[in-house]
Formats: sequence, C-alpha cells, structure tokens
Amino acid sequence: MSSKESCRSELRIAIRQLNDRCLCSASKWAAEQLTGIEQDPAKFTPSNTRFQRGSSSIQRRYRTKDITTTPVSGVSYVTTPVMVEDDLVDGDFYLLAKSYFDCREYKRAAHVLRDQTGRKSLFLRCYALYMAGEKRKEEEMIELEGPLGKSDAINQELVSLERELSTLRKNGTIDPFGLYLYGLVLKQKGSESLSRTVLEESVNNYPWNWNAWSELQSLCTTIDILNSLNLNNHWMKDFFLASAYQELRMHNESLAKYQYLQGIFGYSNYIQAQVAKAQYSLREFDQVEAIFEELLRNDPYRVDDMDMYSNVLYAKESASALSHLAHRVFMTDKYRPESCCIIGNYYSLKGMHEKSVVYFRRALKLNKNYLSAWTLMGHEFVEMKNTPAAVDAYRRAVDIDPCDYRAWYGLGQAYEMMGMPFYALHYFRKSVFLQPNDSRLWIAMGQCYETEQLRMLDDAIKCYKRAADCNDGEAIALHQLAKLHSDLGRLDEAAFYYKKDLERMEDEDREGPNMVEALVYLATYCRGQKRDEEAEVYCTRLLDYTGPERETAKSLLRGMGMESTQSGHPGMDIEHLPP
Amino acid sequence: MVGIFIQPGAFAITPHKVSVCILLKIYAPPGLRAVPYPFISIAQHNRLGLFLLALTKSCDDIVEPKLDEFIHQFRVAGGFSSHWYINHLTSSLSSLLSPDDLFNFFAEMRGILAGPDSGVVEDDQLMLDLNSNLGIFLRRCVLAFNLLSFEGVCHLLTNIEIYRKEAPSSCPPYEQPCLDDSSSNLETCSEYENMDLENFVYEKVSEEIEARKEASEKVPFHLHAPKTLLDLVDDIDVPADLVSKHSEKGRQAGSYGDPTNNMLPDTDPSSGTFLRTNWQVQGYLQEQADTIEKDGSSVSLNGFEIILQQLQKMAPELHRVHFLRYLNSQSHDDYIAALENLHCYFDYSAGTEGFDFVPPVSSNSYGKYEIALLCLGMMQFHFGHPKLALEVLTEAVRVSQQQSNDTCLAYTLAAISNLLFENGISSTSKMLGLSYSPLTSVGITLSVQQQLFVLLRGSLKRAESLKLKRLVASNHLAMAKFDLTHVQRPLLSFGPKAFMKLRTCPVDVCKEIRLSYHLISDFGSEGSAMTVDGAFSTAWLKNLQKPMGSLVLSLESGSSNSSNVFQFCAQPTSIPGSVLQLLGSSYLLRATAWELYGSAPLSRMNALVHATCFADASSSSDAALAYVKLIQHLAVFKGYRGAFSALKIAEEKFLSVSKSQILLCKLQLLHDCALHRGQLKLAQQVCDELRVLASPVTGVDMQLKTEAGLRHARTLLAASQFREAASVAHSLFCMCYGYNLQVENASVLLLLAEIHKKSGNAVVGLPYALASLSFCQSFNLDLLKASATLTLAELWLSLGSSHATRALNLIHGAFPMILGHGGLELCSRAYIIEAKCYLSDPNFNVSENYEVVIDSLRQASDELQLLEYHEMAAEAFYLMAMVYDKLGQLEKREEAAASFKKHILALNNPQDKDD
Repeated sequence: MSSKESCRSELRIAIRQLNDRCLCSASKWAAEQLTGIEQDPAKFTPSNTRFQRGSSSIQRRYRTKDITTTPVSGVSYVTTPVMVEDDLVDGDFYLLAKSYFDCREYKRAAHVLRDQTGRKSLFLRCYALYMAGEKRKEEEMIELEGPLGKSDAINQELVSLERELSTLRKNGTIDPFGLYLYGLVLKQKGSESLSRTVLEESVNNYPWNWNAWSELQSLCTTIDILNSLNLNNHWMKDFFLASAYQELRMHNESLAKYQYLQGIFGYSNYIQAQVAKAQYSLREFDQVEAIFEELLRNDPYRVDDMDMYSNVLYAKESASALSHLAHRVFMTDKYRPESCCIIGNYYSLKGMHEKSVVYFRRALKLNKNYLSAWTLMGHEFVEMKNTPAAVDAYRRAVDIDPCDYRAWYGLGQAYEMMGMPFYALHYFRKSVFLQPNDSRLWIAMGQCYETEQLRMLDDAIKCYKRAADCNDGEAIALHQLAKLHSDLGRLDEAAFYYKKDLERMEDEDREGPNMVEALVYLATYCRGQKRDEEAEVYCTRLLDYTGPERETAKSLLRGMGMESTQSGHPGMDIEHLPP
Repeated sequence: MVGIFIQPGAFAITPHKVSVCILLKIYAPPGLRAVPYPFISIAQHNRLGLFLLALTKSCDDIVEPKLDEFIHQFRVAGGFSSHWYINHLTSSLSSLLSPDDLFNFFAEMRGILAGPDSGVVEDDQLMLDLNSNLGIFLRRCVLAFNLLSFEGVCHLLTNIEIYRKEAPSSCPPYEQPCLDDSSSNLETCSEYENMDLENFVYEKVSEEIEARKEASEKVPFHLHAPKTLLDLVDDIDVPADLVSKHSEKGRQAGSYGDPTNNMLPDTDPSSGTFLRTNWQVQGYLQEQADTIEKDGSSVSLNGFEIILQQLQKMAPELHRVHFLRYLNSQSHDDYIAALENLHCYFDYSAGTEGFDFVPPVSSNSYGKYEIALLCLGMMQFHFGHPKLALEVLTEAVRVSQQQSNDTCLAYTLAAISNLLFENGISSTSKMLGLSYSPLTSVGITLSVQQQLFVLLRGSLKRAESLKLKRLVASNHLAMAKFDLTHVQRPLLSFGPKAFMKLRTCPVDVCKEIRLSYHLISDFGSEGSAMTVDGAFSTAWLKNLQKPMGSLVLSLESGSSNSSNVFQFCAQPTSIPGSVLQLLGSSYLLRATAWELYGSAPLSRMNALVHATCFADASSSSDAALAYVKLIQHLAVFKGYRGAFSALKIAEEKFLSVSKSQILLCKLQLLHDCALHRGQLKLAQQVCDELRVLASPVTGVDMQLKTEAGLRHARTLLAASQFREAASVAHSLFCMCYGYNLQVENASVLLLLAEIHKKSGNAVVGLPYALASLSFCQSFNLDLLKASATLTLAELWLSLGSSHATRALNLIHGAFPMILGHGGLELCSRAYIIEAKCYLSDPNFNVSENYEVVIDSLRQASDELQLLEYHEMAAEAFYLMAMVYDKLGQLEKREEAAASFKKHILALNNPQDKDD
C-alpha cells in the first residue's frame, strides 16, 4: 500500500485536474477521500482534525482487527497524476467555456471551444456537448411521453460524439478523460464490451477518476466479467473492487476490502457509508445504526445513503429517530428521491399507508429507476390490500434489477395473499435462489407449501430445513419442522426437532406457548418410548406453567407413579442401570 | 402502471398522419364540387378514399411507414398517374416550416369537415361526414394537434423535417403504376369502378361498401370481429393471392430468419419512427398471436423477438408484448423464457389488458389473476408437465370460484378435461376432488373418467349459460370424444343396481358432433354479439382462436408486384377462422370415430372433407392429421407404393410440422412395410425410433407409447420370439388398463391371442380372443371385432379339424364387415383362413368344390402381393399348390410352387429395396 502522504499528494493534484475538466462528482469524490486520510496528529492542530475526531470512536467499536497485510505491489504503478497540460494559447477561451459550463450553459460552452485544439479544451467541448444532450434528453423524456408510456428519448449528441472520439482514439491522440467520455457514450449506445475496454484503458492511464471506475463497475454484471478485467494495481482499484463486490452481493469480500482501505482513509465518510451498506445487507442493523449516527454527526447535511438508514430505523421501529431524520433531510433537500423515500418510510411506520405511497410516488417521479422505492411501495400496497397495484410495483422493481430478492419475495407474498399459493411458489423460488442464506425467505416458501390449498408438506419440510440451516433468527423453522413431522406421524423426527427447539429457547431465555408445546410433546413422547425418567423431567418443568398443559403433566406423572409403584417394569430398571 | 397511469389509446400526431391529412385534403378539398381537380373519374376519386381508409386501418406492422415507403405504397396502390399527388404531398410537407404553418394547416383541415348542423348539404358538395371513419380520423388528428403543448409542436416540426429529408435517398425503384397486373381480380375491380356513386355526399364510405358487400354475399365478413375493431375496421382486405404470399413468406422465415427483419426500420428513434395507433399495434399483435397459435413454427423466434423488443422500447406500457413473447417462446419450446414472460405479462396486466380493456371503474379492481393460472396451466400442459399443470389448473378453479369468474371457470374446466383426456393420470382425486365437483362433497370418490365426465358437463353447462359459443362447440366435441371411448356408468351407485348397458353409444357421439356443428349456423345468424369472449379465447383453448377479422393490408414496399390493393377480398366464407377450425376438427373427429367403428369409406370421406375444405382455416397439426389419415387409408387399401408417394407430398407440405404427425405416420408405414417384407432389423429400428418420440414423463403421450409397445410386440412376434412378445404385450396391457385406455386394450388382447396362436398354444389364446371380442363389442369396434373373429376362427381351427365348421361359421359371419370395410391384409387373411377351413374340413371334397378354395386363394395372393406381405403370400401359394396337387393339375401346381418359393426366399433374405 502506498503511503498516506503519497495518496494525499496524488489526490490533491487529481482534484485540480478533475475540476479543470468539470468532472464535478469525480472531484467531489476525490476530495472526500482526501480529507478522509488520517492526519498525523503531531503535525496538526486540533482544529484540523476537528472533523475526524468523531469517527475514531466508531472505529474503536467496530474495527475488530486491523488489517495490515499489503496486497502484492503493483507492476505498473502510476504514482502522481502526470498530465500534459495545454499551453496557454487557447487558455482564455477555455476559461470562458469553463465558466459557461459551470453555469450549466453547455451548448454555449461547446460553441466557444469549437476551434480549440488543446486536449483539455477538446475534452471540455465534447463533455459539454454530452451534457447538453443529456439535459435535452431529460426534457424530452417528459415531452415525448406517448400513449403507451415514455418513449425512449436518447441523447442526440451521441452519434457525433462517438464518431469524433473513435477517430481520436484511432489516431492515438485521446487522453484518459476522452477515453472516459468515449466509454460513457459507448455504454449509452449499448456496445458494452467495447465500452468496458475503453473504460479499462482510461482507468489504467488515469486511476483517479472515480466516475470512470463507477461506469466500469456498472458494466461488471457478473463475477466473471470482473475477473476478466486487466487492471493496473493502484489503490483506486481497491475502491473499485470493493464497490464491485458489493454490487455482486459478495458482501464479506467487499467488507474486507473496505476495512483494508480504512487503514489509509480512516475518516472517509464514503467508506463508512459503504461499510454500512454491506452490513445492512448482512442484516447487522445495530452496527449500521451506529455508523450512520456517526456519519450524521460529522456530516449533518448528508442525504446520500440516508434512505438505508431510514430502513434500519424502520426495521427497529424507532419512529422518533425516523421522524428526526425525515425532518432533517426534508430541510436539507426535499427534492431528492432519498428524502421522499425516508418520509415514505416514516408514514409507513406510522401506519399511514396512503400518505406513504404519495411520497414513494414522488421519489419515483424524481427517479424512475429508484429500485427500493418500487419495492417499498409494493409493501405499502400490500398493507393497503391493493394486491394488483402491489404486484405491479414489485414487478417494476424486478424488471429494473432482476436480482432484487425482496421484490420477488413481495410478489410471492402478494400472490399468496390472493389465494394463489401454487402460482406464488414460482416467485418464492426466485427469491430463495437469489438469497439462499436468508431464513425468512425459506420460511415464507415453507409456509406457502403448507397452505391448506397445497398441503405439500414434504416440500415444506425441505424448506424449513434450509431455513433452520441458515440460522433462523426467529426460530420459526425448528418449531414448524417439529410440528410438521408430528403431523405426518414421524414421531422420532418430531421429537428431535422439538428437543432442538427447546434447547434453543433455553439458550435464548425465551418462554411462550412454543415452549409448552415442545415440553408436552416431549413428555408424552418419552412416556410412549418408556423413557420415564426423561418424561418426568419434562413433566416437572411443565408444572411451572398454568393452563391445561399443567393438568396433562400431572396426569402423566400420576400414570408413571402408578407404574413405578407396581414396579412391574424390569425393562425400565435395566435401561437405567449405570453403565 | 399503478403510479402514473396513462390512458391507453391516446392518439399522437405524427408526420405520417400529417401526410395522410394532406392527402385527405386533396380527397375532399373544401368548397369544391363534384369530382375535384386532379381526379379524372369518380372511380379514381373513390380509390384514393379507399387507400386512405386502408392506411388508417391496416395492422400489418407496428411502425408507421416513412415517406419513401408511403409514396411507394401510394404509387403501387394508386393506379393513376400519381406525380401530381406526390409533388403536392412533398411540397405541402416542405411548406410546413414554422409552428404557425402547422397551426394554419390544421385550421384548414377543420374546414373540410362537415359541420355538425350541416343537415342540408347541397347535392354534390364534398364534405367529410363527422362520423365517418375518415372524418373521425381527421377529427382525432385535429384534436391531437390542439392538445399539443408548444414543445410538442416543435417536436412535430423537427420530425416532419426528418421525415421529409429521408425520402428521396433510399427510394426503391418504382414499378409502373399497376392497374393492369391485377388480372385475377379484375372482375371485382371493375365491379367496384362501376359502383353507383351518383349521390356523392360522403356519408360513411364504409357503409356504402358494406351495403354492397352485403348485397353480394349476404353476410359481411368482419361482423365477428371484436367490437372495438369492428368500429374501426372496414371491409377491405388483401386480395387472396397476397395473403398466400404473406404466409409463404412466413413459412420461409422459419428456416432462414425473418425477412421482415430487413424491412424493419432502424431502431434509432432519431430516424423518426413512430408507432401506429394503439389499436393498429394491438391488431398487429393479435394477428401475430393467431399465426403463432395456428402454426408456431412459421414465425421465426428471433425475428419476431426483435420486433417485440423494438415495440417494447417504443411503448413500455404495452404489456401485451410480454404475452406475445410468451407465445413466441412457447411455440419454439423455450420453457424458461415462456415461463418468465407469462409471469411478467400477468404481473403487469393483472389479466385485464387487451383490446376490450376498459379501465376498471366500477368493476372489481382485483385483477383477473385466475386467467394467469389458466394460461400457466395450459403452458405446463403444452410442455408436458401434466402434474404441474393439474396443480395450477386446480388453483385456477379455486380462484375463479372465489372471484366468481364463471367464464374463466368454464374454460378452466375444459382445459382440465382436455388435460385428463390427453394424459394418463391415474389418480386425481387428491387435488380435483377437493376443490371441484358437487359429488365429492357427499364423500364419494370418483374414478378419473367419471371426474372427466363431471368436469366436461360442468364446463358445458357454464359455457352454455354464458353463451360462449366456441367453448360450447368444443365441449361438445370433447364430449363426443369421451363418448367414443368410454362406457358411461351412473355416477351414483347406491341402492339396487340399475340396469346398465355396458356399451358405448355411437348415437351419443353423433349427437354431440352434430351439436357442435350448430356453431356454424349460430355464426351465420348472429352477427357481432359474439365478441365478449373474444379477448379470452386466444390463449385459452388451444384449438380455439380468437375471432380475428382484422385485415392484413399488406403495404410493405417489398411486395412490389403484388396486385391491386383495392380489391375487395372475395373471401370464400364469412365465418371466422376459429369457427372454421372447430368445424374442421369436428370432421376430423368424425373420421376418427368412423375409423374406430370400422367404416373405412366414411372415415376417408370425412378426412377428405377436412383436407379439401378446412385446410386453410385449420391449424397445421390438424391439417397434417387429415393427411395422415388419408395416407394410412391408402396404405391399407392400395398398398405401400401409393402411400409412400402420398407421404412425400405431405412431407413437403408440412415441412415445419414434420416432427409430430407426419413423422409418426412415416414411421408407422415403414414399420408395417418392413414387417411385411420380413426386414425385422429395420422394423425394430423403426420401432425404437417411434418409442423415442414419446416423452419420458409417465402419463404423457400415452397414445404414442401404446403404439410403440404394440409395434414392438408385433416385431418380436414376427421374429418368433413368443415369450418376449407375450411379456411386452402383457405389460402393455397392464399399462393400458392402468390408464383406462380401453380401446387400446382390445387390440392388445387381440395381439396376445395372436401371439399364443402363433406359438401353438391355441387353448391359451382362446380366452384372450374372446376377451378382445367382448371389448370390441362394448366399444362398438366393428372392424376390430371382425378381425378378432378371424383370430378366434383360426384358434378353433388349430384345435383340430373337428372345429372346422365352427370356424367357418365364424368367418362367414364376419365376412360382410371384412369385405365391406377391411383393408387388403384383413381381406386376404379372411380368404386364406376360409380356404384353410374348407381344406381341413373332412366333409369337404376338394375335387368337387375346388373353385371355391382356389378363387379365395387367388384373391388373397393378389392382394398380398400388392402389400408385399411375403409370409402370408407364401402361405396362400402353398395352399394353392396343395390344392392343385390334389387335383392333379401339375402345371398349375408348379406355378404356385414357384411363387411360393419366390416369396419364401424374399422373406428369408430380406433385402432393402429402394423405396
């Protein structure tokens, strides 16, 4: 790993270069990482480290192990951003164009640069054209809404841009930024593999452009594609890999990468948020909550990723915290899809589903491909018993991302609600295929098999078994397994699972009807198997409870007592002889 | 979509529509009288009107034509010197330069519409009636323009510019305007030109046409189209030759990829492609769906997929695309894609999308997911998963009962009975009994057949009360099929046993078939009320198709030498295709029924009727089946040579479906032929191939499996491996019994008798023969009964000469049936056995009555030589030689012996002849 100092100087230069090219979000990202690098406390006054103090506590809490291993050092390492800067001949025009660009007057910017030949100017002109096209595209999307849905508006500049950039690439006069733009254009035109190659070239020559990395990442839809990339070793690659792993649902790998990166960028909000994301996928809600609390303390006006925080708060049912969050993001920027989503979550938690749908809808109006809003809206419709609408919403989520197991699960649930369990199975199958380690999904599928219309108990048992194997948090699976086996007359298996369930409840200190049920069954079972001593243990435990079970236990005990007084049971004696 | 619901059917103004408007202005210029300037005659004027009408109605494609294509169409269709029009069109288009021009243009367009109060129209003033089709079109255009925002007007302007610029470059070389190449349709053409149009007020062009048609044909063709379509579509259709060309093209596409592909405009929207109106697109999809269902392999998988992709891109809210995808992938056996698309379609549409979809205002908004279940069930059935299909359909029954969707219930029940009929399912009581059946509630378990019967009755009753005519008809057909092969027993059997006649009832079969035939008269008298169930029926019953009266006005630029577009389509019939198809299958069923009952001429006649009258309307598999029946008839009555040459013709005709029916028939013929010639290895090989055709899933393809088993046993028998043959036949019997294939049982039993006879265990064979006889009796299988009688006679005969008279009596009893309806083989067998009986009868004096014997034998040997059935021919000649020997006619004896030797040699040295 390169030193903190070199990272810092690389980033400083890179930010300037990115800014010159108006790649704002990339430079924002780079700047965030720059301040995320841990400062040497000896050299700086406390005021410098003011922003960084808070995060150390969370690191103390959750950084379990400090990863010090370094990856294999790179063969071809680009250390500092080396770019041939343009001479000052066309500098004035460039300055004007950049000002236009910053004011979002893209076409004017491009026009000013029409005759300029410097690389920087050339890139800026192309980029301005691209942005102009994008802006127009957005407008047209609304203008051209056809009778059967939005017709697909496209960026009108793509064709000419592609032509120009490809000639540049052939001439070899293209710089990494041009390559990035070329890759972007190609991706939009649908030639993905070429786009991947071009972007690969771009990041290998200039690794500090996070935009290029993230475009590349969106093109890596499978692990095979990811592995086939030929990337130079650079610390930016680690960021890339971490994010790619996350998208490919390899959460643990991604988490490991991020933890490694935290060695340098110890105070990076970005990394923290990503870690939170991974933890969220691993359903470690407490950790996620702590991370987000920390993040908000350091960066109170942050809206990015806050929808995930709201999901966590929703899951933990902390309404007041959720309302605080909603208020905060609302004041910061109400027209962000994330904000609407958070408010929707809040209303949903309050049980006001109509209102929550309104906000999810608004989120979708702002971003039609906002995946989680579709899914969440589906949940709301389910709550409102409007199943067709729910099905529609879920299906849209699935069409945006076919790997969204929540939406598949929602679809299954919706169909099950409509009394179509067999039809629903298709969807449950999809969802467990995508998330085979989630016990809730297996349990839902098992319940579906168990419905009175289907009664496919053997299949249900298989599902519950899988659920039990994936560490079922709510311990439904074991109980169901026991019950199903006893229904099917497989007494031994039933006893096995009841016992397991009982042990588990003891471990977790849980009481309840399930406990009583297990005890009653085990008592009668042992009694039936002539293992009276065991039966007695269960019966005595039952005596602690009230209700009819207590009576059952008493009568069982009485029966055993009578038998033992008659002492006509040599078999039992033999059984209990000490070995 | 839930979130942002868009009213379907909105109408967008596009450059193409603008050019149609320009032509409309030429057609009906404001304030002019009589025949306006450029037209030479009234006929020409009418022609333009028809062209415009056709343009607004055609659903042959999803995107609007570009200007060059449009001009080309116009030239081809025009039939008059069209330069003036085209110049006018292009110049008008290019004069639309600013938003204001557009405003003025549409303001002028309003002028050619007759005002609502223009009751008093001067005699020859040209006005478009507000409510005529073109009037409505124009009004919609004007309205759509008025609704446009300024941005919309700007877009229209840019699009017109693009549209105009594209025109000249890629123009294909134009044909001469072709008035003269429509020789075949000249008559109708001239008829049209003489049309009486004195009264020149343009009141409803369509009405005129319709009236005219009605006068000539009594029933207008499109009366059965779905109502929405009907309102918009008129009676112009493609000339027949065009249609055939179209379908031919489709067939080619199957193998080479879709040629329409090449004509597809760029998917790049910047090149200005626009979807046609909503119902035109829907009509296109409907047509494609019909084609796929009729003959799936005629649509190329990828070619159509590309069109669908384009469509989805242009209209993401048109969910029917997913359904078409489902159909497409199903017809190409892509299970996973079919499943995905089916689910996708119903997730989006909730079963409530289609032509006739009215956004749910008051009706239940819960969707019609039971239709999804029905479709899924049929899909599973199609892919050969009867168990899964049954589960799904059971769920469909339950849900449609919950939603009280009786229509769906009726179809579902029909689907289930179809499933039960096609597949052997040994026990259904678990699932079906629980959910549907009035009887199970009493606690009585029904056999599968009884359940099938109950289901059919249930479906029929519902269909009748809901007036689902097609379903009624097809249910009657199913009923007939059921009656054909099942003995009816009372469903409830408590109390003293009622008298039961354990026989099938041919009268019932005829009655059911006749009832289904009533469908045609219903359609004749009823008109367009028949549309309600149209939307459902497409996917529902495989054999039922939607009444699709819509038109293919084939307007693509490729069909340059196609004749005049303005022919009225002289359709030979006014019955919708789906009805015709049903009728066709009723004929096929008749053929099958007579085949079973043993009347060869009637069976052949019905197959012939189907092949000649219903070949176009029926699905390709039905048509193939009719051919197969005819070929089989040929083979049985005329020998193999003719059959094989007929087969060759059929194979060419049904290239795409060669997999199923025709291939099966070919294998059967080959097997028979090989057995007769004694080529046992070949026979076994063919038999194995036959067996491979059947699905490995138990309970599926039962007919095919039985067939393969029978043939296997027969091959073993021919190889004199009696024990193996018997065991194969025995297990076959067990299988048939398990799956209640009683008719097949009769022939299996007969085969067992045959095996025992050949192995010399006549005593063991007798009970089998008798059992077979009784099966034949109860199922009225007369021909099979005759052949069983023959076997019985042989068995008696082999018990000793004392039984010869009894055998002879049996044969003579069966002779009328055999000679009247039996094939070559059966007849000759009967002759030989008769001769044998005479010869072994001690009271029979050969020298006195030798003519009787010799005649029979000669007849038999002639027929057997035709069949190349060496074994039996040898037997006949042997007997002949013996008789001659006894008579002392040595010369003739030698002749017969030589023939005997020839056949024995041929039998023992089977050599593959070329054939």
